[in-house]
Order: sequence, then C-alpha cells, then structure tokens
Amino acid sequence: MNQLIRHYQQTAMRYIDSRHGSDGDWLTGRRQAAVRHFAELGFPHSRTEAWRYTGIEGLMRQGFELTDRFDAFPRHAVMRRFLREPTAARLVFVDGLYQADLSDTGLVGVRVGSLREAMAVGDRQVLEAVGSLSGLGDHGFEALNLAALQDGAVIRVSAGVTVQQPIELLHLAGKGATGRAMCPRHLVMLEADASANLVERYLAMDGETAYFNNLVCEITLAERASLVHQRIQQESAQAYHLCDIHLGLQGEADYQGVNAAVGGAWSRTRVHCRFAEPGANCELDGLYLAGEGQLTDFHLDLDHAVPYCDSRENFKGILHGGGKAVFDGLIQVREQAQGSNAHLSNANLMLSRRAEVDAKPQLLIHADDVQCSHGASIGQLDDQAIFYLRSRGFDEGQARRLLCQGFANEIVERFQSASLREQLSEVIGQRLEE
Amino acid sequence: MLSIKHLSASVDGKAILKGVDLEVRAGEVHAVMGPNGSGKSTLAHILAGRDGYTVTDGEVHYMGRDLLEMEIEERARQGLFLAMQYPMELPGVNNMIFMREAMNTRRKSQGKEAMDAVSFMKLVREKAKLVKLDERLLKRSVNAGFSGGEKKRNEILQMALLEPLLAILDETDSGLDIDALRSVADGVNRLRSPQRAMIVVTHYQRLLDYLEPDHVHVLAEGRIVRSGGMELARELEAKGYGWLLDEVAA
Ligand SMILES: Nc1ncnc2c1ncn2[C@@H]1O[C@H](COP(=O)(O)OP(=O)(O)OP(=O)(O)O)[C@@H](O)[C@H]1O
Ligand SMILES: [Mg+2]
Repeated sequence: MNQLIRHYQQTAMRYIDSRHGSDGDWLTGRRQAAVRHFAELGFPHSRTEAWRYTGIEGLMRQGFELTDRFDAFPRHAVMRRFLREPTAARLVFVDGLYQADLSDTGLVGVRVGSLREAMAVGDRQVLEAVGSLSGLGDHGFEALNLAALQDGAVIRVSAGVTVQQPIELLHLAGKGATGRAMCPRHLVMLEADASANLVERYLAMDGETAYFNNLVCEITLAERASLVHQRIQQESAQAYHLCDIHLGLQGEADYQGVNAAVGGAWSRTRVHCRFAEPGANCELDGLYLAGEGQLTDFHLDLDHAVPYCDSRENFKGILHGGGKAVFDGLIQVREQAQGSNAHLSNANLMLSRRAEVDAKPQLLIHADDVQCSHGASIGQLDDQAIFYLRSRGFDEGQARRLLCQGFANEIVERFQSASLREQLSEVIGQRLEE
Repeated sequence: MLSIKHLSASVDGKAILKGVDLEVRAGEVHAVMGPNGSGKSTLAHILAGRDGYTVTDGEVHYMGRDLLEMEIEERARQGLFLAMQYPMELPGVNNMIFMREAMNTRRKSQGKEAMDAVSFMKLVREKAKLVKLDERLLKRSVNAGFSGGEKKRNEILQMALLEPLLAILDETDSGLDIDALRSVADGVNRLRSPQRAMIVVTHYQRLLDYLEPDHVHVLAEGRIVRSGGMELARELEAKGYGWLLDEVAA
C-alpha cells in the first residue's frame, strides 16, 4: 500500500509540475498541501467504519492517471443529451474538461463559468473558495481531487436573484476518459435570498469505458437562499464514481437535493451537510439501482450543530442480480442544537437472493428538545401484487417492472424536471424487465 | 365456454373444494351463492390461477383448453377476468398507466394496434363515468388508499376496458352503496352478449334482481349442492341456508 501511495503522490506532484505554475502561488500551494495531506491519509481502507463495505480493491487494481486528455464528440451527439426543458445556463464537460463551445453561460445576476477559466486568470475570489467547506479533504481521494484539480463549474447567484429555469451541468465521458481519474470540483454559492435550480448529470457516451470520476462539490447557501439540486449518476458500466458533496447552510437556507445513482461499476456519493445557522432546512431524496457487478454507496452525514434546523432524508434502493448497496445515514444532533427536526428513512427492494445491502441509519442525539426518527427496511416484491398484475394480462417481467417503478416512484417524483423523470423510469424499466 | 368437472382442491392440506361441477356456456350469467367460508373465492382464485391452492382432482376446460395448464397472464389474455373480493393495492403504480398498459397488452394479444395515450384517456374517462368512479382516482396509485367501494368500482372499470369473454365477479357488490350497485349492474349488463359469459359470486339478491341470472348455484361445503333459477335466490334471501344444508345432509 505504501508503494501505491508513493506512486500516486509522485503522479500528483508531476501533475502539479505539468501546470507550470499557471495556477498562481496560492492554488499551487494548496495543491502541494493536498498532496502532503494525501500522503498522511493514504487511501481509505476497510478498517475505517465509513469504508467497511465499500472496497476500493477493484479501483486500485485498475489504477488511474492524472492527465488533462479528452476526446471531442460530434456536436449533435452531445446536444442529444441536453436537458429537454429550457435551461437558464448550461455547462458541458467532456472527459472532465469544460467545453465552452457546447456551453451557454450568458445570465444576468449570475456568474456561471468554469473553474479552469478561473484558474487561468487567477481569479482569487473563486480560487479561495476552493476547499472552504471540504478543507484539504476527509479521505485520500478527496485530497487527490484538490491536488490534481482540473476543472469544474463555478456558479454564483447574486443576492435576491431568482433563476427559474435549471442551470444544467452535463458531464459526458467517452473513450478519452479511459484509465484516467477526472478530478472536477463544483463551487456553488447562492448569496442571501437567491434561488436556483441545478441539474447535474454524469452520462457515458460509451457504455464500457473504464475511468474514475473523482469529484467534489461545495455548495454554500447564504441566508434564506434556496437551491433545488437534481442529480443523476449514469456512468458507464465499467466506471468508478466518487462524489463528496459538502453543504454549508446559513440561516433559513433551504436545500432540496434529489439523487439517483443508476450507473457505474462502483459508485459512492457522500453528502455532508453542516448547519451553520438556525432555521435552515435540508431535504435529501435518493434512489439507487444496482445489478450484476455493481456496487452503489450513499453516505449521508447531517450535522445539526445549531438549533432549529430541519433535515429529512428518504432513500430507496432496488437491488437485482448480484448487485450490492451500502447505505449509511448519520444524523448528529449536538448538545446546543435544541429544536432540531431530523427524519431519515431507507427502504430496499431485493429482487434476487444474491443481492446484498448494508443499511445503517444512525442517530446520535445530544440535545433533548428534538424530534428525530429513523428507519430502514429490506423487502421483496409482493407475490400477491404480482398475481394481481398477471391476472390483468401482464407477464411476470412486466409485473416486476411496474412494481419496481412503483416502488421508485416516490423518489422519481421528487425530480422537478419531467425529462429526468422519464429518463429514470426508462432506465428502471430497461434494467428490470428481463 | 367453461367446463368444471369434479374439481377438488386444498389449501395447506385442508380440503376446500370437494368435487365442484359447473358448465357455463357463452351468453349465460351464473350466480354462485353460499355461506361464508364455503369455497367461493377459492374457486374463483383457482380459475384465475392464483398460487397456494393444490388441485387434487378434477379438470377445468376454458374455450376448449385445459385451463389449469395455462399461465395466469395467458388466461387473462384469452379473455378471463376476475374482479376480486379484496383487490390488491399497488403503491406507486399509477392507475391510469396500469389500465392503459393492461389494455394494450390485451390488444396486442388480439393482434390489434396499441392505443395512444390521448384516445385511451378519452375512453377511460367515458368508462369511469359509467361506473361512477371519481376521475381523480385515475391519477392515484392502483387501489392504494381507496375505500372498499372505490376498489370495487375500479375493478369494474378494468372489466369494462378489457371486455373479457368470461368475467368472474367475486362479491363485487359487497361494500357498494345503492347507486354504485346499480352502476356496477349496468356495467355488467352492458357487457352481456351472446359471446360472453359471467359468474357472479354474491350474498345478496339485490344484484341478482338487476342481472337476472340464467342459473343460480349454491356452493356449500366445497360442492354445488343445489342449482336453480332466480326463485332459488329468493328462497335463500327469505329463509337463509340452514334448511338447504339440512336437506343436503338428509
Ligand atoms: N391460505 C389459506 N390457508 C388456510 N385456509 C384457507 C386459506 N385460504 C382459504 N382458506 C380457507 O378456505 C375456506 C374457503 O375460503 P373462501 O375464501 O373460498 O370462502 P368464501 O366462500 O369465498 O367465503 P366468503 O363468503 O366469506 O367470501 C375458508 O375456510 C378459509 O378459511
Ligand atoms: Mg369469498
């Protein structure tokens, strides 16, 4: 393992050198600090509770490089994947790198652009926001993301501005991503009373390419700001996808996140929400689908550090074939966080005997005047419901598909965008109707 | 159309049906009455293909085919429909989509084109009006949180859409208010034709007054113990089952 760490440490240093100081002293210093932090942390191992059920052996065996290579796609192939609804702005990333010619960023009252551009011009205000919520990283991969930071979205909505239509972040990976670790980082900042709707998708242009998407997302909502955040991970069947989302919520801010993880060979999404001031609200919904050869992991970490904040999480998973899922939902209510409301629920539908789920909802409550609940369930399809559907002429495959779509529906409905709802229902249908 | 010969069946080793004989020809309406627990739903379930029952003896033919050998969905696609005594709830499955897909599956098996969403919507609204089903229920999950009567109306709506050849109604009238009973009876009567047949399981004469069945049967202790016409239903309404069971025992 030490050898591996040294190898990636050197790889990261080479990556920093290859940038020839174009990031400016401040960011270069941060990158170097992140490499040192990585060397201390190493890669996560199964002895740490948070990684106990999510092995990284496959990823380590495969290895990855830190480079800025990408393969352009025909314009029409990219456009076909655009969100169908009208958008306020769009940022397209191919193999982890921003594509200005496919993007659209002219918005009043909103600053939308790429981190790459900010690095190129040495935009101090943007660069100093890097790591403001994540620090140097909670685990080795997150430290590597900062060390080898390539690109990402920078979105800043000015005070009082409402952006009705979605801001779309579209990530496409193709052959050019083969063998690479992409290290994007998104910085989202909503100033006081601002509101926006962010759609973030990870799609594969080629179903079999093997790559590693190692991303970090830092979202700050100032007083009374509100963000709807719709995310879909539909990477290639061979891909590794790791995402750390950090939320910093100020007074009365409102964050509504809905996640779907349906692709990738291995994917892990962690949402870390820190309530910084009273009155904030955080809602997270999620759906995961894992079949043969897939592992999906969601880690939620809600930190009620101040009084009178609300959190609600509802995650549902469908496991088929030899699919594996990990769900870890931690709610911490600290001593001073009186008047907290925190509710967490996780339900898993197992379609096969070989499927596996490790579900762990946890409440750590140190305040007394709080309302908290949590629950996890694991169940199968109801035979009587299958009979009912078959008695109406559906074959067994259709019956199972309808019931699975029904199970997932509660989460699918949380996606505001109709085309995303359709995309998801279709994926569930295709995957489950053998 | 349907020929049941000496059908015997058990559940968990307990004999429930003990030699049921019943002939149903196209165009006929048969009523099946009988005390609670006598095996009426068991019979209906076996005809629809629900598991959990072991057929220990006898045979059933439907449209010349061995019904018991047919898959559940194959029976449905060949026109058999069971309106259940306790319809299942399907959380998250949209009622409208469920009915449209069911209808299109049936059409496909008849070699017909699938119906587009707009024409289907029109048709389902029309039929919902006939069975007096609140249109809002079409937007909800199938039967989930429906009242008892709403579930029954939803069954009849499915029947009206699927236009089965053999409809089996298991106590569809129980739990219905008087107006709904009337509309269910109208729905059934509208489906009546020389090509179709129905088996109506009921405890009440009221539905039979509307339907005027050709035959009335009493199922007791796992067998059809008496068959007759409407007069038998009237006699049962007036006197209950005791006298009949005594006569059979004697
Ligand atoms: N799964 C089962 N396990 C054990 N007994 C069963 C099962 N299903 C049915 N039975 C029994 O079989 C008998 C017949 O039940 P069935 O539901 O067919 O009666 P029914 O004539 O429809 O009655 P009702 O008029 O109350 O609807 C009852 O005694 C019932 O308890
Ligand atoms: Mg019954």
